[in-house]
Amino acid sequence: MPRPEQKTIKLTIDGREVPAIEGAMLVDAAKHADVEIPYFCYEPKLGNPVGACRMCLVEIEGIPKLQTSCSTPVKDGMVVNTHTDRVRGAQNAIVEFLLINHPLDCPVCDKGGECPLQDITFGWGLGRSRMLEPKRHFVKPLALSPLVAIDRERCILCYRCVRFSQEISEDYQLIFAERGAHTFVGTHDGHPYVAPFSGNIIELCPVGALTSQPYRFRARPWEIEGAAGICTLCPSQCNVTFTVRDEKVLRVLARDHEEVDDGWLCDKGRFAYQAIHVDERITQPMVREGDELVPVSWERALSEAAGLAKHKGRTAALVGGQATNEEGFLLQRLLREGLDSHDLDCRGGAPVAVELARALAAPALQATVPDLEFAHTVLLVGAEPLDAAPILDLRIRKGVRRHGVRLGILSARPSSLDPNAGFVMRFDAGEEASALAALDLALAEDRGAAEPGSAELAEFLRAGGEDLVIVWSERLAPEALPHLLSIAGRLNLAGRSGAGLLELPAGANGRGLREAGVLPNAGPGYVEPPAAGRGAAEIAVAAASGEVTALYLLQIDPVRELPDRAAWEAALQHAPLVVAHASVLTEGLREHATVIFPAESYAEKDGTVVHPDGRLQRLRTAIAHPGAIRAGWQVIADVSKRAGLDQRLLTGPMAFKALAAAVPFYAGLTLEAIGGRGVRWPATEAAAAMPAADGSGTATVPPPPARPASANGALRLGRYRSIWAAPEVELSPALHFTIAEQLVELSPEDAERLGIGNGAAITVAQNGTRLAARAAIRTGVPAGSAFLADGIAAESANALTAPLVEVTPA
Amino acid sequence: MKILFGRIDEPGLNTLAVYERRGGYAALRRALEMEPAEIVEEISKSGLRGRGGAGFPTGRKASFLPKGDMDKYLVCNADESEPGTFKDRELMQKSPHMLIEGIVIACWAAGITRAFIYIRGEYEHQARILEAAIAEAARAGYLGERILGSEHTMSLVLHRGAGAYICGEETGLLDSLEGKRGNPRLKPPFPAIEGLYHGPTLINNVETLATIPHIVTMGGEAYAEHGVANSAGTKLVSVSGDVRRPGNYEIELGTPSREIIFDLAGGTFDGREVMLWFPGGSSSPVLTKDDLDIPYDFDSMAKAGTMLGSGAIIVVDDSHHPLEVALKLAKFYSHESCGKCVPCREGTTWTYKMLQRIETGEATPMDLDIMASVQEQIIGNCLCVLGDAMAMPVGSIVQKFRAPLEQAIEAARARHDSGALEHVVATTDFVGGARVADEHAGPAG
Amino acid sequence: MTQNVPRFAHGSRVPGWDDAVDLSKPPAVVPDPATTPVPETLRSAIEAAMGKYPDRRSAAIPALHLAQAEHGWLSPAAIAQVAAVMRLTPAYLTSVASFYDMFSLVPKASNDVFVCTNISCSLRGADEFYAAMQAAAEGEDVDVREFECLGACDIAPMASVNGEFVGPLTPDDADRIVRDLATGGPVLEHKQLRYRRCADPGVALEAGDFGPPDPAATELADTAGLGPHGDAADRPGPSAPIELDAEEEDASG
Repeated sequence: MPRPEQKTIKLTIDGREVPAIEGAMLVDAAKHADVEIPYFCYEPKLGNPVGACRMCLVEIEGIPKLQTSCSTPVKDGMVVNTHTDRVRGAQNAIVEFLLINHPLDCPVCDKGGECPLQDITFGWGLGRSRMLEPKRHFVKPLALSPLVAIDRERCILCYRCVRFSQEISEDYQLIFAERGAHTFVGTHDGHPYVAPFSGNIIELCPVGALTSQPYRFRARPWEIEGAAGICTLCPSQCNVTFTVRDEKVLRVLARDHEEVDDGWLCDKGRFAYQAIHVDERITQPMVREGDELVPVSWERALSEAAGLAKHKGRTAALVGGQATNEEGFLLQRLLREGLDSHDLDCRGGAPVAVELARALAAPALQATVPDLEFAHTVLLVGAEPLDAAPILDLRIRKGVRRHGVRLGILSARPSSLDPNAGFVMRFDAGEEASALAALDLALAEDRGAAEPGSAELAEFLRAGGEDLVIVWSERLAPEALPHLLSIAGRLNLAGRSGAGLLELPAGANGRGLREAGVLPNAGPGYVEPPAAGRGAAEIAVAAASGEVTALYLLQIDPVRELPDRAAWEAALQHAPLVVAHASVLTEGLREHATVIFPAESYAEKDGTVVHPDGRLQRLRTAIAHPGAIRAGWQVIADVSKRAGLDQRLLTGPMAFKALAAAVPFYAGLTLEAIGGRGVRWPATEAAAAMPAADGSGTATVPPPPARPASANGALRLGRYRSIWAAPEVELSPALHFTIAEQLVELSPEDAERLGIGNGAAITVAQNGTRLAARAAIRTGVPAGSAFLADGIAAESANALTAPLVEVTPA
Repeated sequence: MKILFGRIDEPGLNTLAVYERRGGYAALRRALEMEPAEIVEEISKSGLRGRGGAGFPTGRKASFLPKGDMDKYLVCNADESEPGTFKDRELMQKSPHMLIEGIVIACWAAGITRAFIYIRGEYEHQARILEAAIAEAARAGYLGERILGSEHTMSLVLHRGAGAYICGEETGLLDSLEGKRGNPRLKPPFPAIEGLYHGPTLINNVETLATIPHIVTMGGEAYAEHGVANSAGTKLVSVSGDVRRPGNYEIELGTPSREIIFDLAGGTFDGREVMLWFPGGSSSPVLTKDDLDIPYDFDSMAKAGTMLGSGAIIVVDDSHHPLEVALKLAKFYSHESCGKCVPCREGTTWTYKMLQRIETGEATPMDLDIMASVQEQIIGNCLCVLGDAMAMPVGSIVQKFRAPLEQAIEAARARHDSGALEHVVATTDFVGGARVADEHAGPAG
Repeated sequence: MTQNVPRFAHGSRVPGWDDAVDLSKPPAVVPDPATTPVPETLRSAIEAAMGKYPDRRSAAIPALHLAQAEHGWLSPAAIAQVAAVMRLTPAYLTSVASFYDMFSLVPKASNDVFVCTNISCSLRGADEFYAAMQAAAEGEDVDVREFECLGACDIAPMASVNGEFVGPLTPDDADRIVRDLATGGPVLEHKQLRYRRCADPGVALEAGDFGPPDPAATELADTAGLGPHGDAADRPGPSAPIELDAEEEDASG
């Protein structure tokens, strides 16, 4: 559905004529005209107004009753009074009613000082009460979940939290129970409110009824400062405000950005800040002495790392998703220019041909986040937004719910968005290339030849309208990508505003690192590199065989993060020099790193990242670096200098300048322009400088042969990476309850055939490798496939490399 | 003149055979030969006003529905839950086909293809009868595809509620019918524009819809000849409380109230006289024995500061105390408040607590002033009319029966002699408001 | 502070205000049909109900009625079954169920007696009957609840006994109701609303000339209008007194 057009009208508020956007709610129009109308329940992010609190009553000429300004759209010529005796009287009355059962325990309330009820009582209340009856008292606070405490005495039943659960995250776990004055916020049968976005209700609560378990009583509003930042725990890159007290992050709040996060945060983003201030955090450099990593001076660590100079032509680098553009850029320059090495990667899978990568990243083909909300049709291809970029899950739901977006899902694994989809098509785990090839064929002229399911999907995509967004995952097999590109061509997505592709990278800054040149086959800005090098999988092999002798691991532990755990263990084992930037010692680094530099957290970094839709966003230093931690760009520059390449950098902004100079399509961008809201480079003039694909990516590619069907009861191996599968989550005490274990998703058919009950202990085996796991029977999993968790601390699926697995009861 | 109740007690009238034998569904045949607009015109000419409580002109309501090819709905409000009202119950139980016929005609007139009857959950017997009647009507071709060979196609589904007064409010009813809690919605948008499943929706009371076949049969102008100006036709009135013959009576609008209460319902018991009466269900401001000669019609009741409402007269004689009535009202409305909006949820509960304090001897006459002011603060400030539905009658009782209420306060204080009032006085600064000295009122630790 | 604090006395049926969640439980998401067994009759009845509406959620109340009939009350398991069939969260259904007075989220006796204590009935002695009914039901398989106006003020004071409206009641009727429920027969048959004729004298005059319907002509002939045994002699008549005389009024009020 296309975006609505906006027209300006004029209305009179308190005797003053003011302009407003037609159809805007009166309360908002008044706010823009500097007239404050108090309210509790109104929150435009939550959808249509409910008009429950009645705080925003105003007088509108021509209407006998007072009207709720939160639900009255402005009209041209409307005359509104917000300060008459009648309005005052109503406001006084509502405050009096609200305080009847509110405990007024402000001195011991965590919300005190930043509480709308306090403010409005002060501003619009009568200042006294005529209520003599005893107030209600309840046991408090109570746990609503491990993250949220509830104080039902304070609740004013404004509907915000339950509307969030029901209409935004659509988890529908948080509800009003009972009726009338007995109404209370709760859950079904004492189950906790555990859902990926539950923390937003804390921020929505206009009183102290819902408070954050980790933040409660840690600070008062007058002791804290807010610092703007970007959450880089996933590619959503939500805009956040860090609540800082004494150089510590105590809380993370949403910093509403309609074109990025729409004002919401997931619970990982909201609570995993705790990992910044844990004892496990590495705060000074370390080098290996024998079996031990021992803390050393920066001088010592830097000179050890400078030993890279002895590995010229034999150094390889891997960059993790949390690295900034500048860090990635400086590191690739160190490798390519300083160490004459060309083996580097920021991706875990097999390399994508540079022509294809350019074609898929072409500015004309990029969809934006708001496009998800206003498209005619959105198609998810092998992507689970809830895990890969959670906040986009909410955005897609919003589009479907409010703007009638038609959602199609083409995936092996069931998605949490399945119930919202108008068309769902499953393929066997690992068969994305065949599935896309079939869709490509169905969209081609000779429709008759298409398989029935694909033909229906093709019809679904064509029937809705031209504004079509395809969301796809970096985790798709590279051989599927030519078909994806061809499909985009057949649907004319290029150059159409409101349509396009949106890739969900595996790493938070996956897009930015590629643009910075952290690829084996492309330099900064996707230009031809001086020489092509090895990708991640080949680096592992080369390191194990001694062809690569030094590894530079920038915020990544490949044993944990990348496919084929055994290969990476061997690689790290064999490499004589392993330099790593890390926040904590994950197992691969603990065993094999020779030099460790303490890495900055996202609250400490100064640099830029690129959102999946091409928006450059700026990280600013919100808190002082703990311990001896130094800026990442600075460390790389120092190592570089000692290894013989002076990158001539004195400040972080200089690093950005160097990057912008090297990437043609960043030309003209400045940190000032990026500012707090970011700049989407594909929408700038410089975007034309993106190297054009020569068309080889779109050449018709024959569909790949289907992989061997499962034999002897073996199941096809599919992988998923849960939103919670991250070291930051494991380190945050508040999130311990979410720590992902190996949960194998099985179809009801296979579970029955194998005699496996839901939740049963099972063993997954393949070529002598065995994983202990639990079974999760899930309707919608295609029979013959099993999905295993990647990226988890124990029993991770990256130990498995072959396409089939044996699943048996343990 | 009996229009709706003419043959109401005929044995077996609930069955299609008897209903047809007595001329049932002839109006439908006739209506299907008319243009939909003609039917709306006849209904407008009849002067029929909604019989559910608000009294909105039925023809005009139907004309608000947008024209065009979209899913439109008709919902019959059979959630008769206004205390004192039981007319729709008798109609549905004894003559269900009259209602079905009215619904089918209304749907044809308004271009509607899906209709629902929302019946309150407590009417189990009536629901069974309606269910059977709908099945019979469908088998006979009065419902379904191309009804009686015409262009009219429609379905009718009976939906049972589960016990909530607020579902009688039309938007609360819609939410409940959509499978949600029966919270009223903000208006606008009005249901005629955006109602059930976001579609244009016509909502009418049982009695209103049951009248439509008769209007089609006799013609709008002939119907309008009954009753008085602005209150055309006959009305079913439920009379209950302290009368000898409680029950439903079909009267011509404009009949003097005294005639209904005394001649039809038999009047008060020997030695008793009317203390107060509700003319239109428990939500209507109360009248006294001085008001018995007011004609029973929409305008006269409005002029007397009250309303015809659902047409339910509750008579309270002088063996009862007005406090008893006010307490029942406040208790009922605080129990039935949906809790969505603040003035209703908190105001009804607070009012109930204040009234309870009179009973426990902890009130002073000043509480009556607070109570009156609280009722004023509720009226007009709520999301729907439930808050007003308590505030209007309670407010009118406080106003009209101040002396007996003050006596009750004194009597209760004397009876309890508990020192409770002294406690209140001692802990309260009546100029500045409540002092937080009461152990219950103090902040929680 | 939190002990013995004053509460509302009336209406609240579900303890919950003072309850924390059980953190050891998993979140209550939409139950997976593969792991939530549902009795086949319940499933098909709910599916039939869902089929009647453009939006399946409309069937929530009918489905909860069915589940309550099946399980006796809306236990967490009963709600989970409805949730699995309707593809909703159990919380959604809990929220809906707790809004309506006829649903019980706590275990209850199998017979329901709803005593109307609203204004018209209370004027006629409902509070006395309610007390008598509570006393009579003590220790029996009968759940007595004070209820808001049931829409039968013409037989005030009245009660709904397993859906059957009976009245006018006197405190003496309470024991009889319990006895009738125990034997499983019709409850207080001579006071059942369904056999009562219209109070309007005009109706009786005009309806007088009709003969009885032919019971063979329709299977519905005995649902109304006819007596309990389809006996023409039992056709609508004042099996319950329409007119109360003053003595009786004084006795009950």
